[in-house]
Amino acid sequence: MSRRAPTIAWTCLAVLLIAGVLPVGSQQTETGPRTFVDDLDRKIILTHTPRRIISLAPSITETLFAIGLGERVVGVTQYCDYPPEAQAKPKVGYIHPNLESIVALQPDLVLAPREFLRGEVLGKLEQLNIPTYVMDAGMIDDVLSHIRTLGRMLGALDAADELAGRMQKQLEAIKARTAMLPRPRVLYVLNSEPLITVGPGSFIHQAIELAGGSNIAEPSRVAYPRLSMETVLKANPDLIIFPSSVVERGSEGERQRWQRWATLSAVKQGRFYRLPNELLNRPGPRVVQGVETLARILHPDTFGERDSR
Amino acid sequence: MGVVGLTRGRWVTAIVTLLSAAVLMLIVCLRFGVEYIGFTEAARILVHTVRDGQVSVGTAGPAGAILLQVRLPRLLLGFLVGSSLAAVGVALQALLRNPLADPYVLGISSGAALGATVATLLGLGTAAFAVTALPLFAFMGGLFSLFVVYRIAASYGRLPIHILLLAGVILNAIFSALIMFITSMMEPNRSFGMMAWLMGALTPPTYSTLAALAAYIATGGIILLRQARALNLLTFGEEAAASMGVEVEKTKKTIFFTAALLTGAAVSVSGMIGFIGMVVPHIVRMVIGADHRLLLPAAALVGGVFLIAADTVARIVLAPGEIPVGVVTALAGGPFFIFLLMNRKTSPIQWRD
Repeated sequence: MSRRAPTIAWTCLAVLLIAGVLPVGSQQTETGPRTFVDDLDRKIILTHTPRRIISLAPSITETLFAIGLGERVVGVTQYCDYPPEAQAKPKVGYIHPNLESIVALQPDLVLAPREFLRGEVLGKLEQLNIPTYVMDAGMIDDVLSHIRTLGRMLGALDAADELAGRMQKQLEAIKARTAMLPRPRVLYVLNSEPLITVGPGSFIHQAIELAGGSNIAEPSRVAYPRLSMETVLKANPDLIIFPSSVVERGSEGERQRWQRWATLSAVKQGRFYRLPNELLNRPGPRVVQGVETLARILHPDTFGERDSR
Repeated sequence: MGVVGLTRGRWVTAIVTLLSAAVLMLIVCLRFGVEYIGFTEAARILVHTVRDGQVSVGTAGPAGAILLQVRLPRLLLGFLVGSSLAAVGVALQALLRNPLADPYVLGISSGAALGATVATLLGLGTAAFAVTALPLFAFMGGLFSLFVVYRIAASYGRLPIHILLLAGVILNAIFSALIMFITSMMEPNRSFGMMAWLMGALTPPTYSTLAALAAYIATGGIILLRQARALNLLTFGEEAAASMGVEVEKTKKTIFFTAALLTGAAVSVSGMIGFIGMVVPHIVRMVIGADHRLLLPAAALVGGVFLIAADTVARIVLAPGEIPVGVVTALAGGPFFIFLLMNRKTSPIQWRD
């Protein structure tokens, strides 16, 4: 092990140098092992362009389909419901992925999200010599860089660059349009009792800021803080947003529950909204749609009213 | 020993002292919160409210609502929950003559938690009647658990204490497994909220809810207090108690059901808040003795004070975020209990027969 480490390091270095020097157009004809470093700083060596890919997160599945690699996906989680074709793929579990199913599908690459991936699962996959690339999409920029990385890794660079470039333009456009607007104060309700919301460091917080809002949990030091009603009353949000999973069975109930906080500007003006939660809970290509939907909710005059009350 | 030494004067002195301490703690905790409200402003708000004869939030800005709709009801809820958990702990420890007995050991709490989990799974946690559905299911879960434990023990004729405890332990294991199963089946988003509820949380209630809960808990408390003399005698053992005129089985049933009803109510409004029912009775017993006529109300007062203090820590330590109050009670109560165990003189185990 220790004797081989320098050899591997030198190989990596060599590969990196060559990859840096060579023109990138040769992606389809690439031969020989290529090395990638994942978000856990692990090195993954791919001897060929992967053809049988298992995705362990809905966001990763969406990304693969979005860059035209849906056919190569051989296994997904039970929550991978978008695009609809993904639902037909074999399921391998999510928080507790089934290692037997994974091995049986003979993948040449497993793409795993950092959250929820347990150390022993990763260890087992390594032991089984299944290349496993761990992705940590904490921020929206990570989504774009992940799309590009997957394109490079899987020989779909053009499609990935096109997608990431388009997303970046759309995000910048939203940012530009909201830059001069007043920023309404937002409370995003992940859970009502106890009240849990999103803080800086969470993906959704970033989306709210991008869409031209001001998250009332901004001063919190935690990604998903429990918030006191005291803070909410003091901060006085202009609007309250629920992910659709929280309200799908009773948005009326949620609304009523909040009526007793009559001093809140959001309650006075009846500004309760729901947001399809898969748009922003998944750090994948539909994030832009999520930010757009948020922007329409926050700034109906600028982005056009959308009936999501 | 305490049984002999209790005079009316000492009872009144102890209760008045503890009551004053509780009121003082309430005032102090009312001062602390995520949002700063100075004493003069708080006083002004209180005076206005008393003068208008109603809880007015009005146009006075958020301070009034924060003080009177969030902080005060939450403190009062904490006091009620802490009191009932501690009183139930005293009664169960005496009844089962087991220093570890508390609502958790008998599986009542986990039964209530299972009920709440099922309610959430069915989507009732967010429906229009969520305010009643979750506590109701929790309450029914607690009752169901009580029923099962009781039936198992009753099948032995009388209610053998070791069977009660054993049945409670087994039920706990089964219910915990079911809760884990249900949580693992939920979408990650929803299981997240469920776990947060299970960790214990005091959500500011409305005053009508609070009044109903107070009436309910007071009734339970009075029933327990009326059994104080019987509890005193039961600590000498069931046969001894019976020979001194205690209707042992009837007393056991009364206390057992009252304890379950009180616990069900407490868990349904606050989730799983551990250690109060176990630790507070021991501390109070060490200080004021084992006469249940004093021990029950004293432990109830101390339990209430302990929980509002713990909840105040939970509210402000990570401000503006909060931490689960169950974490604070366990971290404060657990080490203290270990300290008592390690010190032979104070070890609660000696108290047993």
